[in-house]
Amino acid sequence: MSYGYYPGCSLEGISEEYDISIRSLFEVLDIPVNDIEDWICCGTMAAPSLSPLLGLAAPLSSVIQAKHQNFEKIIAPCSECLYHFKRATLKVDQDQSVRTDLSEVMGESLDHLPVSIHPLELLYHPDYEALIKSRLVPERDLSALKVVCYYGCHISRPADVMQFDDPENPKSMDEMLEWTGVIVLDWKSKLDCCGAHFSLIQPDIVVELSKEIYLAALEVEADAVVVACPMCHANLDTRQNDIANLLGRPIDMPILYFSQVLGYALGLEMKQLGFEKHLIDPVPLMLEKCQSRQFAQIPHRRE
Amino acid sequence: MAFLDQIQAISGHNANLCFQCSKCSSGCPMADRMDLKPAQLMHNIRLGREQEVLHSRAIWLCLGCETCTARCPQEVHPAEAIAAARALAIKKGIRPRVKEVGIYYQGFINNMRMNGKIHDASIAAIAGLRTGRILKDLPLAWKLMIRGRIKPPPLPFGGRGFIKLHQRIIEIEKETWQ
Repeated sequence: MSYGYYPGCSLEGISEEYDISIRSLFEVLDIPVNDIEDWICCGTMAAPSLSPLLGLAAPLSSVIQAKHQNFEKIIAPCSECLYHFKRATLKVDQDQSVRTDLSEVMGESLDHLPVSIHPLELLYHPDYEALIKSRLVPERDLSALKVVCYYGCHISRPADVMQFDDPENPKSMDEMLEWTGVIVLDWKSKLDCCGAHFSLIQPDIVVELSKEIYLAALEVEADAVVVACPMCHANLDTRQNDIANLLGRPIDMPILYFSQVLGYALGLEMKQLGFEKHLIDPVPLMLEKCQSRQFAQIPHRRE
Repeated sequence: MAFLDQIQAISGHNANLCFQCSKCSSGCPMADRMDLKPAQLMHNIRLGREQEVLHSRAIWLCLGCETCTARCPQEVHPAEAIAAARALAIKKGIRPRVKEVGIYYQGFINNMRMNGKIHDASIAAIAGLRTGRILKDLPLAWKLMIRGRIKPPPLPFGGRGFIKLHQRIIEIEKETWQ
């Protein structure tokens, strides 16, 4: 299988640590990925809101680039980009008139387009479970780390477009992190919207929505929130101080990417995971919780 | 074309299947801030109340989280219908009732025209200047900058392919929606 990698605009900017960690993870798992050349922005909500055709043509443009480079699948780590890829390819498959319009606009045939997937979709497979479990590094024992998995909006929702996991109670990320021995807690905000879309224009709304997510994570006493979307991360990571001020209490809860947790358990260096780029520094937590089993667990056992 | 049909032509879904169970409104994280809740928007679309829908604040407050679509028992895809209403409002020259959202979307597309890709910090800066928020966000921008998460803007010479595509689409849509 040949995979074309579509980083998307966020991963080249504010969410560079996701890009770094996901590339390191693919490397350590020997998954060959190549960048799609000449990709463009997917247009997110802006393009379809101003022009319905542009909202389909912008993502399709990158999908067609991937097809020209003979990639069978596109890996898009940003779930917003991924949603627009899947939405556009689905529309083209289902609606003949949209298909005709778009192939005319783009001057291309829209047959045999590559399938777009999230890295979670790729790795959530028994083969990778075996591979990851076999390569865990004993010094990076994560069995004292308690996390909650935050899926956000578009990993599994809406089901007819995303075709992955459960749209009301997704489990893929939870199970994947459990492969590494992390304690994954159940909580109520797995799928709540953080409001990232308004991050630049009405941050007050964002703070209010994200506050609920933090309260839910604090309620189950999680050490960290694990995400799989650069929007969720940028939002929760950068607005945590505002939310702490609003709540009148410190939160101090690092926001990690699933790729960072997996990569850490597989022995990657902090630098390869981009930990230094977070506003809420995850390094102290990782050092405290993730010593080798002997160091971390003896005090607890004695109690 | 009647308003209901216009929405269907853009969204690809039939709003008339809605039977007003209001699951969309119950799940919507923005419902309490909306002048018309999602179920009300759907009902107004069915009744052809074009002005009420296109002049509402609600269509611009939608975050696109798709909770409504995920839970709709009739698969009418409310989020798609609301996106279609936004596009129709723009085509008909109706100014977005939530001004900042319109500024942000337009800034986004303008940025895409410069390079095909967007430069997140430029969009933030322009939106910040036009909405007057920029000073409040400067400390945050500084923190991100010292961690290398704000990149210098690229030279604006990579957008030719996208501009051509956009121009063709503008012409086609002009014919369709006149």
